[in-house]
Amino acid sequence: MRGYNEVLTPGVEYYDVFGIPGVSIPQQEMYKTTDNNGRLIVFRPDSTLPIARMASARLQNFQKPVRLFYRQNVYRNTPDHTGVSNEAAQMGIEILGAQGLRADLEAIMLAADTLTKTIGDFRLEIGNAVFFQNLVGKLQISEERREQLRTTIESKNYAALSGLLENIQDQKIVEAIRKLPRLFGGEEIFKEAERYCPDGDTADMLLYMKTLYRHLSETALKDRIIVDLGLVQRNDYYTGIIFSAYTQEYGAAVLNGGRYDTLLGKFGDSMPAIGFSVDTDALTAIVRRRGGGESRIRKKTIVHIMPGYEIKAHRVMDEMVGKGRYCEASVFDAVDKTRRYASVVGIHRLMVVGESVTEMELGDDET
Amino acid sequence: MKPLRIALTKGRLEKKTVELFEEIGLDCSILKDKGRRLILPVGNGEMEAVLAKAADVITYIERGVCDMGVVGKDTIMENGSRFYEILDLKFGKCKFALAAPRDMDFYAGYHSKKIASKYPGVAKRFFESKAMDVEIIKIEGSVELAPLLGLADGIVDIVETGSTLRENGLAVIEDITDISARLIVNSASLKLRKPEIEALAGKLEAAIVNKEKEIKK
Repeated sequence: MRGYNEVLTPGVEYYDVFGIPGVSIPQQEMYKTTDNNGRLIVFRPDSTLPIARMASARLQNFQKPVRLFYRQNVYRNTPDHTGVSNEAAQMGIEILGAQGLRADLEAIMLAADTLTKTIGDFRLEIGNAVFFQNLVGKLQISEERREQLRTTIESKNYAALSGLLENIQDQKIVEAIRKLPRLFGGEEIFKEAERYCPDGDTADMLLYMKTLYRHLSETALKDRIIVDLGLVQRNDYYTGIIFSAYTQEYGAAVLNGGRYDTLLGKFGDSMPAIGFSVDTDALTAIVRRRGGGESRIRKKTIVHIMPGYEIKAHRVMDEMVGKGRYCEASVFDAVDKTRRYASVVGIHRLMVVGESVTEMELGDDET
Repeated sequence: MKPLRIALTKGRLEKKTVELFEEIGLDCSILKDKGRRLILPVGNGEMEAVLAKAADVITYIERGVCDMGVVGKDTIMENGSRFYEILDLKFGKCKFALAAPRDMDFYAGYHSKKIASKYPGVAKRFFESKAMDVEIIKIEGSVELAPLLGLADGIVDIVETGSTLRENGLAVIEDITDISARLIVNSASLKLRKPEIEALAGKLEAAIVNKEKEIKK
């Protein structure tokens, strides 16, 4: 309804798609097998990488932006007995071939809308991958060291961070990085972050984030947004804004997203892009725990069919379903059995289709 | 607002945590005299504690059923860290070390060494960082026994004073890393309850700094 087209990506993919340096998915997390030519293939461990591959190969000549959505499962080999499922349902969107404030706002607003319509209460945190990249880019350190810094900031491990920074000379940058895990909160964060700007590029980014934040503050999201400039996500492919959503009832992010302008280039022609994915399993579990979900379908009706009126009954049912009602055909010959079935599965309305059509409420005591 | 739920590692770390909590003025009377209760209120209802084995503390935090936890760095290193590790509590101090029989040159010879450890993950990463090819054997307890029996060339284990090692003819060959108790926080909890958690962490940190000053005097 907002111009998004559904995309389905193959359930099995070449291993190489997910092994690109800098954007790869940990080898041990993928389910692998071989095809009949002996090439290594994996069960789809992620949706964004295959979409990026497809888009860079096949969507170059389409009018931009291309808006896509997906709802499909991904497979990850997680440690045993941790209560984490190896098959996870995900939904998400990608906006391909668009850059700047409007595309970023669209993605964030859509993410927020998704959560408002399903779980209601949540916090959305917004960061920017550029801040950390620019800071670290100024330091003469090895790739390994850089990764150590990233993980300590990611885990907000202040103690270890101090240790890692001890031998680095550039005091201004060191001070900024030291501050990074604590740079989260409301609008006041921007002011604080400005003091640690290493260059004009970063200053522009902060200004941009501030604009974005101001726009979002005008919406109902105002009290739901947290800015976290220390947000450095595991996925290395983000190049601009990154965002995650959290809710009281779930111990991890229920939604993750961000801008990844260089990813498509790794598969061929480059194109800016932004997207997010939602943990559908988590949302479903939350809604169900709150007693929502199926029971929200208000009135269920069981349709008992008199002998010889089967076709008529289905015609009546088509009409009801067309009007948005929930109805279920009874397979029983005797109306008593239909009533008993209805009481067991929790249906409280009975329709009998014969020469005439009658409808009645079933009491709870009718067993 | 729900109370902040904290998981404490049973035993020594639990006692030290209670001491620290009392220092910042939290009422821990129920926590000290727990009876049969499993979820124990702390302070004036702003917090509640549960007690668990170290590795379970990590599970509770990762899965978000507890907001915070107190656990040793050794357990964190072995079990991974999909949570925030925000404060070094500076107690429960010891270190991971590589130890081997005193009279043996551990690095000598071309054969790949056998290493016994309760912490195979830590051992593996240590030798990987040295680009050394070793064979790791997981042992559940009394790791010092392994080299004495000839099962392993060396061990990777927690060393506090080193007296157990000495008594068994072993010596530390190399320190791997220092260990102490850490305050860990579930990632969603830190985002959702930042002011409360930061306030608590701030108070704890101040108390720890004070304590260290006193010790130095």
